[in-house]
Amino acid sequence: MAKAELKSNTKTEIEDSSSLKGTLASVFFIGFFIIVLWVGVYFLYLDRF
Amino acid sequence: MIKSPLKSKVDSRDGKLAMAHLYVAFIALLVGGLAGLLQVLVRSGKFQLPAGIGYYQILTVHGVVLGLVLTTFFIMGFQLSVVSKTAGTFTGKQRTVGWIGFWIMTIGTIAAAVMILLNKASVLYTFYAPLQAHFIFYLGLTLVVVGSWTVGAAIIMKYAEWRRANPGQQSPLLTFMALVNTLMWIVATIGVAATVLIQLLPWSLGWVDTVNVAVSRTLFWYFGHPLVYFWLLPAYMVWYAIIPKIIGGKIFSDSLARMSFILFLLFSIPVGFHHQLLEPGIDAAWKFLQVVLTFAVVIPSLMTAFSLFASFETFGRSKGAKGLFGWLKKLPWGDARFTVPFIGMVAFIPAGAGGIVNASHQMNQVIHNTIWVTGHFHLTVATAVVLTFFGAAFWLVPHLTGRKLTKKMNKLALIQGSLWAIGMTFMSGAMHAAGLLGAPRRSAFSDYGGSAQAAEWIPYQIAQAVGGSILFIAIILMLYIFINLAFFAPKGEQEFPVGEALHPEEKAPMVFENWKLWLGITVLLILFAYTIPFIDLIQNAPPGSKGFKLW
Ligand SMILES: [Cu+2]
Repeated sequence: MAKAELKSNTKTEIEDSSSLKGTLASVFFIGFFIIVLWVGVYFLYLDRF
Repeated sequence: MIKSPLKSKVDSRDGKLAMAHLYVAFIALLVGGLAGLLQVLVRSGKFQLPAGIGYYQILTVHGVVLGLVLTTFFIMGFQLSVVSKTAGTFTGKQRTVGWIGFWIMTIGTIAAAVMILLNKASVLYTFYAPLQAHFIFYLGLTLVVVGSWTVGAAIIMKYAEWRRANPGQQSPLLTFMALVNTLMWIVATIGVAATVLIQLLPWSLGWVDTVNVAVSRTLFWYFGHPLVYFWLLPAYMVWYAIIPKIIGGKIFSDSLARMSFILFLLFSIPVGFHHQLLEPGIDAAWKFLQVVLTFAVVIPSLMTAFSLFASFETFGRSKGAKGLFGWLKKLPWGDARFTVPFIGMVAFIPAGAGGIVNASHQMNQVIHNTIWVTGHFHLTVATAVVLTFFGAAFWLVPHLTGRKLTKKMNKLALIQGSLWAIGMTFMSGAMHAAGLLGAPRRSAFSDYGGSAQAAEWIPYQIAQAVGGSILFIAIILMLYIFINLAFFAPKGEQEFPVGEALHPEEKAPMVFENWKLWLGITVLLILFAYTIPFIDLIQNAPPGSKGFKLW
């Protein structure tokens, strides 16, 4: 029992040290920023033309 | 054989050649920066130029000297350095070719600059016909381009030599990247060489009376968009291949970096119409095609963003960072070689997003010829690119001159980068906002006959003057740091950081070095995107225009 627990602990640690979830979140943030700016100016366009 | 170039210093003879380029680049920073300061002051409406100096004259100085001279000279010096460092010292013959190129570029620069200062060439940095400059201005520009080809030839010769000496091996990453940028530059500058030599020079000499304006603008933008990528790719070299070493991490993926550079080579050129979306004479279908190709550049751009974040996060987590963004805290914020280019990377997020707005046909009508565009490229080239160049200069200059970046200079460099960020937030932010309210770019101060709409722009113009003044202080600080690193810093060995891949055993496919293939696709895409529009522009041309000197 104790052995199994130890094993799963090491596993999560390894996953954490090579995880790229912050990278994923950052790239999504950039994508989101692009979409917000684009949609914003698009509505400005619709409003004016 | 080349003996482990990674451990060696850049040879001092190559260093002299690179430094010659950097001296010209930083003189340009002073001249162009001063012109920029005068511009924002004039546009605030509170200041008038003395001694009959024209606004459009200093506008031309600012654009030509910073957009063309500072960038081209810095890039050539930087690329020579990275190639010498990673592919080995240049041979005597290659170095001589480099020096010939340097002098051709310098003579061309002086010729063009003298004509601008004599007020014979106030045609702005885009030198659109039918504005007509003195022929020596065009001749000078031609020499700058021919000189840059000559320096490029030295890089190509070095690369070819390396490949012969190391058959079947992939070239060093930084050499590969410098080569891609050189090849893209040569293909792109054919357009500007064509309009200058075939159209503008004979016309300014009076050999022909008229010029086909639409053709000259199209040739200019065939060159003008890849020009932007010619500025950007050296910054990407720093971001991909040098910053990881500075922070103590690894390059996330060597193959990904090479592939994104190949994609930039393919998609940077057949896209110039996104600058001409509101021009008559080009069929909407061809504009649409080039806009689609423009959007293809989003792919390597987001690949770059991913790779940089991944390299930062991998490093941070190796230092025990936890949570979603804990790795940000592990980055060396006290090191100007990292932090100043990092400010540039952050600026590239709104810069890239704004670029996507600009390239979208309908929205281009919202911002076309407004000062939004000026705000946009002051984020791309004048922040993302330039701060990365400054960040590189902090180690490159002392490396080449046998000196060291001291703690004190590092601190000044951090202040310099922060001042730039603050000044640019004011200036570029106000430009974007005023542009959305319709404020025109390029034009001198005017209250447009007391128009209510023009009155709305005034507070933003004052904000631009405040931001521009802060930026000028940052420029003076940068020049002080450059002079210190070039002449006065203590003697020593400053590291030339070259990153290593996270998985060096993963070799990039050799197909990346197949230049017949990549240049072939590049040429095919260009022919596809431009052949029929050019036939249209020439066959259905209106009567040509005589030259105008409106200053
Ligand atoms: Cu463009």
